[in-house]
Amino acid sequence: MSTSAPIGATPLMDGLIARTTCKRVPISVHFDLTYRCNERCVHCYLDHNDHGELTTIECVEVLEQLAAAGTLFLTFSGGEIFLRIDFFEILAAARRLHFDISLKSNALLITPERAARLRELGVRRIQISVYSADPAIHDAITKVPNSFSRTIAAIPRLVEQGLKVKLACPLMQQNLLAYRGVIELAEKLGVPYVLDLTITPMMDGSETTLAHRASVSSLLPVLRDPALHACKPRPESHSFSAREAIPAVTGSAVSSGIESSAYEDLPCSAGHNSCYISPYGDVLPCVQLPQAAGNLRREKFEDIWYHAPQLERLRAIRESQLPFCSRCEIRSYCERCPGLALMEGGDLLGAYERACDLAEQKARLAGLTDPVSALHQERAASISAPTGNEIASLVTDSSPN
Amino acid sequence: MSTTANGALWRKNPILAWREIEGEIVIISPNNSVLHELNETASFVWKRLDGRRSGAEIATGLAAEYDVKPEDALGDIETLVEELASRQLLVPADNPSTERTE
Repeated sequence: MSTSAPIGATPLMDGLIARTTCKRVPISVHFDLTYRCNERCVHCYLDHNDHGELTTIECVEVLEQLAAAGTLFLTFSGGEIFLRIDFFEILAAARRLHFDISLKSNALLITPERAARLRELGVRRIQISVYSADPAIHDAITKVPNSFSRTIAAIPRLVEQGLKVKLACPLMQQNLLAYRGVIELAEKLGVPYVLDLTITPMMDGSETTLAHRASVSSLLPVLRDPALHACKPRPESHSFSAREAIPAVTGSAVSSGIESSAYEDLPCSAGHNSCYISPYGDVLPCVQLPQAAGNLRREKFEDIWYHAPQLERLRAIRESQLPFCSRCEIRSYCERCPGLALMEGGDLLGAYERACDLAEQKARLAGLTDPVSALHQERAASISAPTGNEIASLVTDSSPN
Repeated sequence: MSTTANGALWRKNPILAWREIEGEIVIISPNNSVLHELNETASFVWKRLDGRRSGAEIATGLAAEYDVKPEDALGDIETLVEELASRQLLVPADNPSTERTE
Protein backbone atom coordinates (compact mmCIF):
# COMPACT_ATOMS: atom_id res chain seq x y z
CA MET A 1 0.00 0.00 0.00
CA SER A 2 1.23 3.47 -0.76
CA THR A 3 2.52 5.84 1.89
CA SER A 4 1.32 9.23 2.99
CA ALA A 5 1.48 11.29 6.15
CA PRO A 6 -1.40 12.43 8.30
CA ILE A 7 -2.52 15.82 7.08
CA GLY A 8 -4.65 18.63 8.45
CA ALA A 9 -8.17 19.63 7.70
CA THR A 10 -7.90 22.15 4.93
CA PRO A 11 -5.54 20.26 2.61
CA LEU A 12 -7.64 17.11 2.83
CA MET A 13 -10.94 18.84 2.11
CA ASP A 14 -9.34 21.08 -0.49
CA GLY A 15 -7.93 18.00 -2.17
CA LEU A 16 -11.38 16.44 -2.29
CA ILE A 17 -12.87 19.64 -3.67
CA ALA A 18 -10.12 19.98 -6.27
CA ARG A 19 -10.52 16.39 -7.44
CA THR A 20 -14.29 16.50 -7.65
CA THR A 21 -14.25 19.85 -9.40
CA CYS A 22 -11.70 18.65 -11.92
CA LYS A 23 -13.60 15.41 -12.57
CA ARG A 24 -17.03 17.02 -12.30
CA VAL A 25 -18.20 14.76 -9.53
CA PRO A 26 -21.37 16.21 -7.92
CA ILE A 27 -19.98 15.76 -4.43
CA SER A 28 -22.46 18.14 -2.80
CA VAL A 29 -26.19 18.31 -3.51
CA HIS A 30 -28.87 20.50 -1.96
CA PHE A 31 -32.24 18.72 -2.28
CA ASP A 32 -35.37 20.65 -1.35
CA LEU A 33 -38.02 18.04 -0.55
CA THR A 34 -40.89 20.51 -0.32
CA TYR A 35 -41.63 24.20 -0.66
CA ARG A 36 -44.54 23.89 1.77
CA CYS A 37 -43.83 25.55 5.08
CA ASN A 38 -45.40 26.09 8.48
CA GLU A 39 -43.92 29.58 8.68
CA ARG A 40 -44.45 32.54 6.38
CA CYS A 41 -41.20 34.41 6.70
CA VAL A 42 -41.42 37.88 5.19
CA HIS A 43 -38.18 37.49 3.21
CA CYS A 44 -38.76 33.95 1.89
CA TYR A 45 -38.07 33.43 -1.82
CA LEU A 46 -40.35 30.40 -2.26
CA ASP A 47 -43.89 29.78 -3.52
CA HIS A 48 -45.26 27.58 -0.72
CA ASN A 49 -48.01 25.96 -2.76
CA ASP A 50 -47.45 22.34 -3.74
CA HIS A 51 -47.16 22.11 -7.52
CA GLY A 52 -46.56 18.37 -7.62
CA GLU A 53 -43.73 17.25 -5.37
CA LEU A 54 -41.68 14.18 -6.17
CA THR A 55 -43.24 11.09 -4.60
CA THR A 56 -41.44 8.99 -2.04
CA ILE A 57 -40.42 6.49 -4.69
CA GLU A 58 -39.23 9.27 -6.99
CA CYS A 59 -37.18 10.82 -4.19
CA VAL A 60 -35.51 7.49 -3.43
CA GLU A 61 -34.76 6.98 -7.13
CA VAL A 62 -33.14 10.41 -7.21
CA LEU A 63 -31.03 9.50 -4.18
CA GLU A 64 -29.93 6.28 -5.86
CA GLN A 65 -28.87 8.21 -8.93
CA LEU A 66 -26.98 10.75 -6.83
CA ALA A 67 -25.14 8.00 -4.95
CA ALA A 68 -24.14 6.40 -8.25
CA ALA A 69 -22.90 9.77 -9.52
CA GLY A 70 -20.64 10.20 -6.47
CA THR A 71 -22.60 12.58 -4.27
CA LEU A 72 -21.46 12.39 -0.65
CA PHE A 73 -22.62 15.64 1.00
CA LEU A 74 -26.42 15.78 0.90
CA THR A 75 -28.50 18.60 2.36
CA PHE A 76 -32.26 18.18 2.76
CA SER A 77 -34.08 21.45 2.98
CA GLY A 78 -37.33 23.20 2.04
CA GLY A 79 -39.82 24.67 2.81
CA GLU A 80 -40.05 22.75 6.04
CA ILE A 81 -38.81 19.21 5.57
CA PHE A 82 -40.77 17.80 8.50
CA LEU A 83 -44.03 18.62 6.73
CA ARG A 84 -43.36 15.68 4.43
CA ILE A 85 -45.02 12.72 6.08
CA ASP A 86 -42.51 10.45 4.35
CA PHE A 87 -39.50 12.44 5.50
CA PHE A 88 -38.05 9.71 7.70
CA GLU A 89 -38.61 7.17 4.95
CA ILE A 90 -36.56 9.32 2.60
CA LEU A 91 -33.97 9.87 5.31
CA ALA A 92 -33.68 6.13 5.89
CA ALA A 93 -33.05 5.64 2.18
CA ALA A 94 -30.32 8.29 2.31
CA ARG A 95 -28.76 6.45 5.26
CA ARG A 96 -28.79 3.13 3.35
CA LEU A 97 -27.02 4.89 0.50
CA HIS A 98 -24.29 6.20 2.83
CA PHE A 99 -24.75 9.94 2.31
CA ASP A 100 -23.34 12.51 4.72
CA ILE A 101 -26.63 14.10 5.71
CA SER A 102 -27.30 17.70 6.70
CA LEU A 103 -30.69 19.29 7.30
CA LYS A 104 -32.12 22.80 7.25
CA SER A 105 -35.25 23.34 9.32
CA ASN A 106 -37.15 25.78 11.48
CA ALA A 107 -37.30 22.99 14.09
CA LEU A 108 -40.94 23.66 14.96
CA LEU A 109 -41.85 19.99 14.55
CA ILE A 110 -38.80 18.41 16.17
CA THR A 111 -39.93 16.40 19.17
CA PRO A 112 -37.53 14.47 21.42
CA GLU A 113 -38.53 11.29 19.57
CA ARG A 114 -37.80 12.82 16.19
CA ALA A 115 -34.46 14.15 17.41
CA ALA A 116 -33.52 10.64 18.51
CA ARG A 117 -34.59 9.25 15.14
CA LEU A 118 -32.40 11.78 13.35
CA ARG A 119 -29.46 10.53 15.37
CA GLU A 120 -30.26 6.91 14.58
CA LEU A 121 -30.30 7.74 10.89
CA GLY A 122 -26.87 9.33 11.06
CA VAL A 123 -27.82 12.93 10.41
CA ARG A 124 -24.64 14.89 11.09
CA ARG A 125 -25.67 18.54 10.95
CA ILE A 126 -28.80 20.62 11.21
CA GLN A 127 -29.06 24.31 10.51
CA ILE A 128 -31.92 26.12 12.22
CA SER A 129 -33.24 29.55 11.30
CA VAL A 130 -33.36 32.00 14.20
CA TYR A 131 -34.00 35.66 13.45
CA SER A 132 -33.61 37.24 16.83
CA ALA A 133 -33.25 36.48 20.51
CA ASP A 134 -36.31 38.68 20.97
CA PRO A 135 -39.38 36.44 20.50
CA ALA A 136 -41.47 39.34 19.22
CA ILE A 137 -39.02 40.11 16.41
CA HIS A 138 -38.56 36.46 15.47
CA ASP A 139 -42.30 35.76 15.45
CA ALA A 140 -43.00 38.91 13.45
CA ILE A 141 -40.64 37.67 10.72
CA THR A 142 -42.00 34.11 10.67
CA LYS A 143 -45.60 35.32 11.12
CA VAL A 144 -46.18 32.40 13.50
CA PRO A 145 -46.96 33.16 17.14
CA ASN A 146 -44.69 31.35 19.61
CA SER A 147 -42.46 30.09 16.82
CA PHE A 148 -39.40 31.43 18.65
CA SER A 149 -40.04 29.45 21.82
CA ARG A 150 -40.80 26.27 19.88
CA THR A 151 -37.67 26.59 17.74
CA ILE A 152 -35.41 27.31 20.69
CA ALA A 153 -36.90 24.44 22.70
CA ALA A 154 -35.89 21.98 19.98
CA ILE A 155 -32.22 22.91 19.97
CA PRO A 156 -31.18 21.19 23.22
CA ARG A 157 -33.03 18.06 22.06
CA LEU A 158 -30.83 17.95 18.99
CA VAL A 159 -27.63 18.81 20.83
CA GLU A 160 -28.33 16.08 23.39
CA GLN A 161 -28.47 13.59 20.54
CA GLY A 162 -25.02 14.63 19.38
CA LEU A 163 -26.12 16.44 16.24
CA LYS A 164 -24.13 19.46 15.16
CA VAL A 165 -26.58 22.36 15.37
CA LYS A 166 -25.94 25.73 13.79
CA LEU A 167 -28.10 28.82 14.03
CA ALA A 168 -28.66 30.67 10.75
CA CYS A 169 -29.77 34.27 10.93
CA PRO A 170 -30.52 36.16 7.74
CA LEU A 171 -30.24 39.85 8.51
CA MET A 172 -32.85 42.23 7.16
CA GLN A 173 -34.44 45.50 8.16
CA GLN A 174 -36.63 43.87 10.78
CA ASN A 175 -33.82 42.22 12.75
CA LEU A 176 -30.68 44.10 11.79
CA LEU A 177 -29.94 45.32 15.29
CA ALA A 178 -30.86 41.98 16.82
CA TYR A 179 -27.85 40.11 15.54
CA ARG A 180 -25.87 40.56 18.76
CA GLY A 181 -28.67 38.85 20.62
CA VAL A 182 -28.49 35.92 18.21
CA ILE A 183 -24.76 35.66 18.82
CA GLU A 184 -25.31 35.66 22.58
CA LEU A 185 -28.08 33.10 22.18
CA ALA A 186 -25.80 30.83 20.18
CA GLU A 187 -23.09 31.14 22.80
CA LYS A 188 -25.59 30.35 25.53
CA LEU A 189 -26.79 27.28 23.63
CA GLY A 190 -23.22 26.28 22.86
CA VAL A 191 -23.71 26.13 19.10
CA PRO A 192 -22.14 27.99 16.17
CA TYR A 193 -24.05 30.55 14.16
CA VAL A 194 -23.97 32.20 10.79
CA LEU A 195 -25.25 35.67 9.99
CA ASP A 196 -26.32 36.08 6.39
CA LEU A 197 -26.54 39.45 4.70
CA THR A 198 -28.20 37.97 1.63
CA ILE A 199 -31.86 38.57 1.00
CA THR A 200 -32.64 37.30 -2.49
CA PRO A 201 -35.39 37.87 -5.03
CA MET A 202 -38.03 35.16 -5.19
CA MET A 203 -37.24 32.18 -7.37
CA ASP A 204 -39.75 33.37 -9.96
CA GLY A 205 -37.79 36.60 -10.27
CA SER A 206 -40.20 38.73 -8.27
CA GLU A 207 -38.38 41.31 -6.16
CA THR A 208 -41.01 41.79 -3.46
CA THR A 209 -38.70 40.23 -0.87
CA LEU A 210 -36.08 42.89 -1.50
CA ALA A 211 -38.23 45.44 0.30
CA HIS A 212 -37.00 43.81 3.51
CA ARG A 213 -33.34 44.01 2.61
CA ALA A 214 -31.24 46.27 4.82
CA SER A 215 -29.50 49.10 3.02
CA VAL A 216 -25.74 48.93 2.71
CA SER A 217 -25.34 52.03 4.87
CA SER A 218 -27.49 50.51 7.61
CA LEU A 219 -25.25 47.46 7.59
CA LEU A 220 -22.19 49.48 8.61
CA PRO A 221 -22.41 48.57 12.32
CA VAL A 222 -22.59 44.91 11.33
CA LEU A 223 -19.71 45.15 8.89
CA ARG A 224 -17.59 46.84 11.54
CA ASP A 225 -18.31 44.18 14.13
CA PRO A 226 -15.42 41.75 14.58
CA ALA A 227 -17.97 39.12 15.60
CA LEU A 228 -18.87 38.86 11.92
CA HIS A 229 -15.66 36.95 11.36
CA ALA A 230 -17.54 34.04 12.88
CA CYS A 231 -19.71 34.05 9.78
CA LYS A 232 -16.95 32.29 7.93
CA PRO A 233 -16.12 29.29 10.05
CA ARG A 234 -12.91 27.56 9.31
CA PRO A 235 -12.52 23.83 9.78
CA GLU A 236 -10.66 23.00 12.93
CA SER A 237 -7.32 21.38 12.41
CA HIS A 238 -7.43 17.73 13.29
CA SER A 239 -5.01 15.05 12.34
CA PHE A 240 -4.31 11.53 13.36
CA SER A 241 -1.05 10.18 14.62
CA ALA A 242 -1.33 7.26 12.28
CA ARG A 243 1.35 4.64 12.47
CA GLU A 244 4.04 4.90 9.85
CA ALA A 245 3.19 1.38 8.75
CA ILE A 246 -0.45 2.28 8.07
CA PRO A 247 -0.36 5.39 6.02
CA ALA A 248 -3.33 4.44 3.91
CA VAL A 249 -5.76 6.51 5.99
CA THR A 250 -5.66 10.21 6.79
CA GLY A 251 -8.10 12.29 8.77
CA SER A 252 -9.29 15.84 9.29
CA ALA A 253 -12.34 17.76 10.41
CA VAL A 254 -15.03 18.31 7.79
CA SER A 255 -15.94 21.79 6.70
CA SER A 256 -18.92 22.76 4.59
CA GLY A 257 -16.98 21.94 1.48
CA ILE A 258 -18.21 25.07 -0.19
CA GLU A 259 -15.74 27.81 0.62
CA SER A 260 -12.34 26.71 -0.54
CA SER A 261 -9.33 28.06 -2.35
CA ALA A 262 -9.47 24.86 -4.40
CA TYR A 263 -12.04 26.53 -6.66
CA GLU A 264 -9.33 28.92 -7.84
CA ASP A 265 -10.61 30.82 -10.87
CA LEU A 266 -14.15 29.47 -10.68
CA PRO A 267 -16.90 31.82 -9.47
CA CYS A 268 -18.23 29.17 -7.07
CA SER A 269 -18.96 25.47 -6.80
CA ALA A 270 -22.33 25.62 -8.60
CA GLY A 271 -22.43 23.24 -11.53
CA HIS A 272 -18.83 22.15 -10.98
CA ASN A 273 -19.14 19.81 -8.02
CA SER A 274 -22.47 20.86 -6.55
CA CYS A 275 -26.05 21.39 -7.61
CA TYR A 276 -29.60 21.89 -6.42
CA ILE A 277 -32.70 19.75 -6.88
CA SER A 278 -36.19 21.19 -6.43
CA PRO A 279 -39.19 19.34 -4.94
CA TYR A 280 -40.45 18.96 -8.51
CA GLY A 281 -37.29 17.30 -9.81
CA ASP A 282 -35.72 20.28 -11.51
CA VAL A 283 -31.92 20.22 -11.48
CA LEU A 284 -30.34 23.65 -11.07
CA PRO A 285 -26.71 24.66 -10.57
CA CYS A 286 -27.74 26.30 -7.29
CA VAL A 287 -30.89 27.40 -5.50
CA GLN A 288 -29.77 30.98 -6.16
CA LEU A 289 -29.16 30.32 -9.84
CA PRO A 290 -32.64 29.49 -11.14
CA GLN A 291 -31.81 28.10 -14.57
CA ALA A 292 -33.12 24.54 -14.75
CA ALA A 293 -30.72 22.24 -16.58
CA GLY A 294 -33.24 19.39 -16.73
CA ASN A 295 -35.93 17.51 -14.84
CA LEU A 296 -35.50 14.16 -13.13
CA ARG A 297 -38.98 13.02 -14.09
CA ARG A 298 -37.90 13.07 -17.71
CA GLU A 299 -34.14 12.51 -17.62
CA LYS A 300 -31.53 10.64 -15.63
CA PHE A 301 -29.41 12.72 -13.29
CA GLU A 302 -26.17 11.78 -15.02
CA ASP A 303 -27.54 12.80 -18.42
CA ILE A 304 -28.42 16.22 -17.02
CA TRP A 305 -25.23 16.63 -14.99
CA TYR A 306 -22.82 15.67 -17.73
CA HIS A 307 -24.62 16.88 -20.83
CA ALA A 308 -26.97 19.79 -20.12
CA PRO A 309 -25.89 22.82 -22.18
CA GLN A 310 -26.83 25.15 -19.33
CA LEU A 311 -24.27 23.49 -17.08
CA GLU A 312 -21.63 23.37 -19.80
CA ARG A 313 -21.94 27.11 -20.34
CA LEU A 314 -21.71 27.75 -16.61
CA ARG A 315 -18.62 25.56 -16.30
CA ALA A 316 -16.81 27.57 -18.93
CA ILE A 317 -16.97 30.77 -16.90
CA ARG A 318 -13.80 31.94 -15.20
CA GLU A 319 -13.50 34.80 -12.75
CA SER A 320 -10.58 36.18 -14.74
CA GLN A 321 -12.86 36.58 -17.76
CA LEU A 322 -15.65 38.54 -16.12
CA PRO A 323 -16.00 41.84 -17.97
CA PHE A 324 -16.16 44.16 -14.98
CA CYS A 325 -15.22 42.13 -11.96
CA SER A 326 -11.96 40.72 -13.33
CA ARG A 327 -10.45 44.20 -13.37
CA CYS A 328 -12.05 45.46 -10.18
CA GLU A 329 -9.46 46.81 -7.76
CA ILE A 330 -11.51 45.85 -4.73
CA ARG A 331 -12.48 42.38 -5.91
CA SER A 332 -10.98 40.78 -2.82
CA TYR A 333 -13.60 42.55 -0.68
CA CYS A 334 -16.48 41.36 -2.83
CA GLU A 335 -18.71 38.32 -2.35
CA ARG A 336 -20.18 38.29 -5.81
CA CYS A 337 -22.72 35.53 -6.42
CA PRO A 338 -23.23 34.52 -10.07
CA GLY A 339 -26.88 33.68 -9.38
CA LEU A 340 -27.61 37.06 -7.86
CA ALA A 341 -25.70 38.72 -10.69
CA LEU A 342 -28.17 37.05 -13.04
CA MET A 343 -31.28 37.63 -10.94
CA GLU A 344 -30.54 41.20 -9.93
CA GLY A 345 -28.27 42.45 -12.68
CA GLY A 346 -29.64 40.34 -15.53
CA ASP A 347 -26.21 39.04 -16.48
CA LEU A 348 -24.56 35.88 -15.20
CA LEU A 349 -21.17 37.40 -15.99
CA GLY A 350 -21.91 40.88 -14.82
CA ALA A 351 -21.42 42.93 -11.73
CA TYR A 352 -24.43 43.84 -9.62
CA GLU A 353 -24.96 46.92 -7.58
CA ARG A 354 -25.45 45.37 -4.16
CA ALA A 355 -22.19 43.40 -4.24
CA CYS A 356 -20.27 46.45 -5.50
CA ASP A 357 -21.72 48.68 -2.78
CA LEU A 358 -20.89 46.17 -0.06
CA ALA A 359 -17.37 45.66 -1.39
CA GLU A 360 -16.78 49.41 -1.35
CA GLN A 361 -17.93 49.64 2.26
CA LYS A 362 -15.77 46.72 3.32
CA ALA A 363 -12.74 48.15 1.53
CA ARG A 364 -13.34 51.51 3.18
CA LEU A 365 -13.56 49.88 6.59
CA ALA A 366 -10.31 48.06 5.83
CA GLY A 367 -8.59 51.42 5.39
CA LEU A 368 -8.66 52.01 1.63
CA THR A 369 -9.17 55.61 0.60
CA ASP A 370 -12.26 56.16 -1.53
CA PRO A 371 -12.47 52.64 -2.98
CA VAL A 372 -14.55 52.38 -6.13
CA SER A 373 -15.64 49.18 -7.82
CA ALA A 374 -14.99 48.63 -11.50
CA LEU A 375 -18.70 48.92 -12.22
CA HIS A 376 -18.92 52.32 -10.61
CA GLN A 377 -15.67 53.48 -12.19
CA GLU A 378 -17.06 52.54 -15.56
CA ARG A 379 -20.26 54.40 -14.96
CA ALA A 380 -18.40 57.44 -13.75
CA ALA A 381 -16.23 57.51 -16.81
CA SER A 382 -19.19 56.77 -19.06
CA ILE A 383 -17.09 54.39 -21.06
CA SER A 384 -18.81 51.50 -22.73
CA ALA A 385 -17.61 48.05 -21.85
CA PRO A 386 -18.01 44.65 -23.48
CA THR A 387 -21.36 43.16 -22.66
CA GLY A 388 -21.85 39.95 -20.79
CA ASN A 389 -23.23 38.33 -23.91
CA GLU A 390 -20.08 39.07 -25.87
CA ILE A 391 -17.93 37.56 -23.18
CA ALA A 392 -20.31 34.61 -22.89
CA SER A 393 -19.70 33.70 -26.50
CA LEU A 394 -15.95 33.85 -25.92
CA VAL A 395 -15.97 31.57 -22.92
CA THR A 396 -18.35 29.15 -24.59
CA ASP A 397 -15.94 28.79 -27.47
CA SER A 398 -13.11 27.97 -25.09
CA SER A 399 -15.16 25.55 -23.04
CA PRO A 400 -13.21 22.51 -21.78
CA ASN A 401 -14.57 19.04 -22.45
CA MET B 1 -4.70 -7.34 17.56
CA SER B 2 -4.87 -10.08 15.01
CA THR B 3 -8.15 -9.09 13.53
CA THR B 4 -8.35 -11.25 10.49
CA ALA B 5 -5.81 -14.00 10.99
CA ASN B 6 -7.84 -15.34 13.90
CA GLY B 7 -10.89 -15.53 11.73
CA ALA B 8 -12.66 -12.44 13.06
CA LEU B 9 -14.98 -10.86 10.54
CA TRP B 10 -15.48 -7.11 10.26
CA ARG B 11 -17.98 -4.90 8.55
CA LYS B 12 -18.30 -1.20 7.90
CA ASN B 13 -19.80 0.80 10.73
CA PRO B 14 -23.33 1.35 9.37
CA ILE B 15 -23.53 4.87 10.72
CA LEU B 16 -20.75 6.12 8.45
CA ALA B 17 -21.12 8.20 5.32
CA TRP B 18 -18.83 7.04 2.56
CA ARG B 19 -18.41 7.16 -1.17
CA GLU B 20 -15.95 5.96 -3.78
CA ILE B 21 -14.58 9.01 -5.57
CA GLU B 22 -12.42 8.28 -8.60
CA GLY B 23 -11.35 4.91 -7.24
CA GLU B 24 -10.64 6.03 -3.68
CA ILE B 25 -12.92 5.78 -0.68
CA VAL B 26 -13.85 8.89 1.30
CA ILE B 27 -15.44 8.30 4.71
CA ILE B 28 -17.06 10.69 7.19
CA SER B 29 -17.75 9.85 10.81
CA PRO B 30 -20.92 11.71 11.75
CA ASN B 31 -20.15 11.62 15.45
CA ASN B 32 -16.99 13.71 15.19
CA SER B 33 -17.13 15.14 11.63
CA VAL B 34 -13.83 13.62 10.70
CA LEU B 35 -13.04 12.99 7.07
CA HIS B 36 -11.00 9.91 6.21
CA GLU B 37 -9.50 9.02 2.86
CA LEU B 38 -8.29 5.62 1.82
CA ASN B 39 -5.76 5.05 -0.90
CA GLU B 40 -6.43 2.72 -3.80
CA THR B 41 -5.41 -0.52 -2.14
CA ALA B 42 -7.08 0.34 1.17
CA SER B 43 -10.19 1.17 -0.85
CA PHE B 44 -10.00 -2.27 -2.48
CA VAL B 45 -10.04 -3.83 0.97
CA TRP B 46 -12.76 -1.50 2.31
CA LYS B 47 -15.19 -2.48 -0.41
CA ARG B 48 -14.80 -6.13 0.54
CA LEU B 49 -15.13 -5.74 4.31
CA ASP B 50 -18.73 -6.88 4.34
CA GLY B 51 -18.86 -9.06 7.45
CA ARG B 52 -18.79 -12.21 5.36
CA ARG B 53 -15.42 -12.34 3.64
CA SER B 54 -12.39 -13.32 5.72
CA GLY B 55 -9.08 -11.52 5.68
CA ALA B 56 -7.56 -14.47 3.82
CA GLU B 57 -10.20 -14.25 1.12
CA ILE B 58 -9.65 -10.54 0.67
CA ALA B 59 -5.87 -11.06 0.71
CA THR B 60 -6.16 -13.52 -2.15
CA GLY B 61 -7.99 -10.95 -4.21
CA LEU B 62 -5.61 -8.16 -3.25
CA ALA B 63 -2.59 -10.28 -4.14
CA ALA B 64 -4.02 -11.12 -7.53
CA GLU B 65 -5.04 -7.57 -8.29
CA TYR B 66 -1.81 -5.87 -7.23
CA ASP B 67 0.76 -8.61 -7.84
CA VAL B 68 1.95 -9.00 -4.26
CA LYS B 69 2.51 -12.12 -2.16
CA PRO B 70 -0.66 -13.30 -0.42
CA GLU B 71 1.08 -13.36 2.96
CA ASP B 72 2.22 -9.76 2.49
CA ALA B 73 -1.29 -8.79 1.43
CA LEU B 74 -2.76 -10.43 4.52
CA GLY B 75 -0.31 -8.61 6.77
CA ASP B 76 -1.23 -5.30 5.19
CA ILE B 77 -4.92 -6.07 5.59
CA GLU B 78 -4.51 -6.92 9.26
CA THR B 79 -2.69 -3.65 9.84
CA LEU B 80 -5.33 -1.70 7.95
CA VAL B 81 -8.23 -3.38 9.74
CA GLU B 82 -6.62 -2.64 13.07
CA GLU B 83 -6.34 1.02 12.15
CA LEU B 84 -9.88 1.26 10.78
CA ALA B 85 -11.31 -0.50 13.82
CA SER B 86 -9.42 1.80 16.17
CA ARG B 87 -11.16 4.71 14.43
CA GLN B 88 -14.51 2.92 14.77
CA LEU B 89 -14.88 2.77 11.02
CA LEU B 90 -15.26 -0.99 11.30
CA VAL B 91 -17.30 -3.01 13.78
CA PRO B 92 -17.20 -6.76 14.45
CA ALA B 93 -19.51 -8.55 12.07
CA ASP B 94 -21.41 -10.17 14.92
CA ASN B 95 -22.00 -6.83 16.62
CA PRO B 96 -25.34 -5.39 15.52
CA SER B 97 -24.72 -2.20 17.48
CA THR B 98 -24.74 1.09 15.62
CA GLU B 99 -23.69 3.00 18.69
CA ARG B 100 -22.23 6.43 18.01
CA THR B 101 -19.29 6.53 20.33
CA GLU B 102 -16.63 9.18 20.47
